[in-house]
Amino acid sequence: MSEPRNVLLEDSQTTDENTNIKSFLTFIAGGLTYGVDTTHVVEIITDYSIRPLPMVPDYIKGIINLRGQIIPIIDFRLRLGNMDTPESISTVILQVDSTTIGMMVDSVSQVLDIDTSRTSPIPVESRQELTNGMISLEDGTVILLLNYEALVE
Amino acid sequence: MDNNLDNLLDTYLFETNSLLEQLDELLINAEKNTDFSSDDVNEIFRIMHTIKGSSAMLEFNSLMTIAHHIEDLFFYIRENGISRLDSSQKSELFNLMFKSTDKLREEVRKVESNEPLSTNIDSITTEINSFLDKISDASQDDAVNPPSAGQPDSDLPAPSPTADDAAVHLPPDKGICFIRVFFDEGCGMENLRAYMLASSLKDAISEFRFYPPDIETNSSTAETIIRDGFYLAFDTKENAEIAVSVIKDFNNIRSYEQVDNPEYTEPEADINAPVESAGAGSVTSAAVKKASAAPGHGAPVKQNLISVNLSKLDRLMAVVGEIVITESMVISSPELADLKLDNFLKSARQLRKLTDDLQDIAMSLRMVPISGTFQKMNRIVRDMKQELGKDVRLTIEGEDTEVDKSIVDNISDPIMHIVRNAMDHGIEENVQDRIDAGKDPQGEIILSARHTGSEVIISITDDGRGINPAAILAKARENGILIKPEEDYSQKEILSLLMLPGFSTNKEVTEFSGRGVGMDVVKRNVEIIGGTVTINSEMGKGTSMTLRIPLTLAIVDGMEVSIGGTIFTVPISNIRKSFKALPEDIIYDSEGHELIRCMGEFYPLVRLHQLYNIDDAITNIEDGLLMWVEASDRSYCLFIDELLGEQQVVVKPLPSYLNNFNIKNSGISGCTILGDGNISIILDISNLYQAAQSLL
Repeated sequence: MSEPRNVLLEDSQTTDENTNIKSFLTFIAGGLTYGVDTTHVVEIITDYSIRPLPMVPDYIKGIINLRGQIIPIIDFRLRLGNMDTPESISTVILQVDSTTIGMMVDSVSQVLDIDTSRTSPIPVESRQELTNGMISLEDGTVILLLNYEALVE
Repeated sequence: MDNNLDNLLDTYLFETNSLLEQLDELLINAEKNTDFSSDDVNEIFRIMHTIKGSSAMLEFNSLMTIAHHIEDLFFYIRENGISRLDSSQKSELFNLMFKSTDKLREEVRKVESNEPLSTNIDSITTEINSFLDKISDASQDDAVNPPSAGQPDSDLPAPSPTADDAAVHLPPDKGICFIRVFFDEGCGMENLRAYMLASSLKDAISEFRFYPPDIETNSSTAETIIRDGFYLAFDTKENAEIAVSVIKDFNNIRSYEQVDNPEYTEPEADINAPVESAGAGSVTSAAVKKASAAPGHGAPVKQNLISVNLSKLDRLMAVVGEIVITESMVISSPELADLKLDNFLKSARQLRKLTDDLQDIAMSLRMVPISGTFQKMNRIVRDMKQELGKDVRLTIEGEDTEVDKSIVDNISDPIMHIVRNAMDHGIEENVQDRIDAGKDPQGEIILSARHTGSEVIISITDDGRGINPAAILAKARENGILIKPEEDYSQKEILSLLMLPGFSTNKEVTEFSGRGVGMDVVKRNVEIIGGTVTINSEMGKGTSMTLRIPLTLAIVDGMEVSIGGTIFTVPISNIRKSFKALPEDIIYDSEGHELIRCMGEFYPLVRLHQLYNIDDAITNIEDGLLMWVEASDRSYCLFIDELLGEQQVVVKPLPSYLNNFNIKNSGISGCTILGDGNISIILDISNLYQAAQSLL
């Protein structure tokens, strides 16, 4: 991945044994920034033709042929119930256990090393079904961590 | 090395399983005749001996011990003759044998699934021993010493004196040369290892002798082998060379050397000798048969069979599938469209023919006879016969029919379930009922398999009391699964109610059937492999269940059709015909469903563009095409835009993620990748109709 890597760590924490640094790919969907553990990201694709499937929920866009492998594509924004879906240019291919799935998002941002011990839970009143935590960065942006298990349920 | 051990284990499991299957078949047949022939006794003895030997080698002690005790028992029976047993003892022996083969199979299963083997097998061994004691007491008190001695074979007279001679000299053999083999020190059971070596050589070379010759039965030869080595004698140098290559790969061999025989005489003198010495030398009846089957001539009779791991065949099939796709990708490449390429097209046709051949061969590799599955049913019928006290015979037809290995693995359970149902519910409880109905007092279940072009048809028929439609309707009403008024159900529809989830007509749950899972599981299992189940039944006459299963799952002949901008594939086997229709051919039934006339009959019309919400499709009946399709018991017409052409396609399953959305119920069985890399969806004709019905 060619994106710049920003290491966002406070000095006091680099020596702390409890730190748990993981790489996250961040992407934007419906105006919010989400992060997903890079160990589950297979690749990001931009140009492909989707074969729509009949009789499935609208967020299932269809299936694609990715080098001989058939992969289902979902629209992450529709999955969240977000009706406002601008033209998507990026699809993130995720692999969780044996399930491979493509996820259409607004755009992909960058890869960040994030200390997961600083994750805070999402306030109950604004909880979303596909996230399981949030982290605020120094520059004030908030990253919602994707609950990929719920995504492929 | 690890790999080597894995291979050894695979071979062991394969061999042991097939021996146990063989044994089961033998026992069933013997029980039918209520007697063991002396051949049977020898065969059981031999099977047990082989299992004992190979289990000992891999240190599966429980298997070894059980096999050992059975071997002892049959050793006694072989020596004293089966006729000494009275009929009650014989039936006890049958039960004992079935019980112990079950135990053996259970242990083998544990080996397969990597579980620890049973350590306590006393109950079965005590049972075998006490039976042996009983029959030996009954016949003669001073009989062969009881099996507890551990080396029961030691009092078998050594059939040849050569064992002793070999101590100092080369064995007296007329072969041109010997190979002398030493096993690893302290590896134990040298005689059995030598026997295993000899049997693996038998696959490669038909003519050779080994010394000491009685290694299979005489465990004291182990010491001779440790001291003097194990001798293999050959008639030609070539055979010796082959043997060396086999020996090289064999486990636990310390050293081997090739020794020329000083007593070797001119070849014409001993043309007939191999037969004699082979007969005298090798103890197994199989070896004797082999040697006598190839009399005299030095021509080696090889067994041209190898066993191949199924996963390799799966890979082969996958690659062949990809070749088929790639081939059409190359040939129908859009870049070639406007070019006039005579030579290219000629070669392309040739290539097409070759890939077709390749595909046929790859498919035929995976075909196995269905007999194994059918034979298992013998055992089930036998067990249930005793349990339920019903007199039933199982007739098997067409057991040589070949089907894909993956199908054999998948139909075993459904067939078993149906046979159990037939035994439990089908055949009358009371013999008098059968006699009153004018039927043979002995019930019959017929298992038959046959091929039609692209399908295998397996039917399980019983001549029992048949299915009572009223009882089914009542039960269905009870369970609330009726979807229309009772009087609207046709006989066929009533019978198919049986296959709905959670349906079981038997009031009581028995050991064998009616565990709450029923025909719906059978149906689902058969559908997994692309098949269908139909039930026919006549009250008082019997029931027949028919499974129709496609020969192969991986590649289907498909018709590409377009609906709007999207392409679908309809399996050719489902298509009856395609035709144009006029608006006046359409009529409406009372609920407003469209019916279309074809060949003088009316069939339901399914508009795919409506069902799948495809906007840019043709909606005017005159402009599109109708395709009359049929699957299991459904016959209807699909409305499509146009036919694009026939193509062989490789079926790819849909991603499992989509199963969350019940995709199987929307009439889609899978997808395939077309020559241009696009995806086409393969329609499931029988489900599609249900999907259309549920939408209306």
